[in-house]
Amino acid sequence: MNKILLYSPLAIFLVIIFFLLVFLIQDKDANKPPSPFINKDLPNFDVISLFNNEDKFSNNDFKDKQVIINFFASWCIPCKAEHPLFDYLKKNNPNLIIIGINHKDKFEDAKNFLEINGNPYSFVGIDLDGKVALEFGVFGLPETFLTNRKGKIVSKITGPITKKIIKNEINPYLQ
Amino acid sequence: MKLTHIFSNKIKLIVLFSIIFKSSIVFSDQNIEKEFKDITSKLRCMTCQNQTIYDSEADFSINIKKIIRQKLNSGENEKKIIQFIEERYGEYILFEPKFDKKNIFLWTFPFIILCLSLVFLFIRIKGNKDSK
Repeated sequence: MNKILLYSPLAIFLVIIFFLLVFLIQDKDANKPPSPFINKDLPNFDVISLFNNEDKFSNNDFKDKQVIINFFASWCIPCKAEHPLFDYLKKNNPNLIIIGINHKDKFEDAKNFLEINGNPYSFVGIDLDGKVALEFGVFGLPETFLTNRKGKIVSKITGPITKKIIKNEINPYLQ
Repeated sequence: MKLTHIFSNKIKLIVLFSIIFKSSIVFSDQNIEKEFKDITSKLRCMTCQNQTIYDSEADFSINIKKIIRQKLNSGENEKKIIQFIEERYGEYILFEPKFDKKNIFLWTFPFIILCLSLVFLFIRIKGNKDSK
């Protein structure tokens, strides 16, 4: 009994160390915090098209549709790096709707960006004052959201997408 | 004589009201400023390393500060503003984890360890006394 009492503080200490190590090994990235939108509907938003002032779309247009929503800007270097991968995604999934939200950008710069780098988006909306980004909890560019066919957000990618991210975080949800 | 007296009284009243009005604006500005500091000090800058929104001058923090100021000026309270921000950026944006079911272990663990240590200490002291 005395021996158990003697060694139990050490045992508790080792258990704590074990849990701390498990937590550290989990590879949690502080720069990629979990999104509160996962498994929730798209937030309410309403945007005008970059190419036509009379063309508008809102979250209601994507109910029951699987979409990728990508926040980008011409001034954002990582956006340029990930841009060709949306073409790659579109080629491999012709029915996938990819929406671009142009964030705090000059119209002409955004149009030039898409002319030079290609336009993989089915629709490009303008978020001049950042209100749409606020509704999506965007805190840096680029950020990408994927919904399932029920219109629920299933994945959020903070930072540029890569082929590895497409394989692990986008493809498994594509139906 | 009477006319000048009436005018002077009116002027006194106008000055008095303007002083009251001005001081109420100053007090309300001070309150908003205090609330602004309280709220922004409780929120994490998502693009910085361990800095509050209040201390940070990053683009993200500047935007959030702008939103909080607008909401305070429109009369929203701290609880509502923090809820608005948390709904969009998640619990991660709060510096202090919430006291709820999910975080119960985090909040109670130090006290559990303290209690266990006290129990062990008590048993050891008692054991030492008995052996003497």
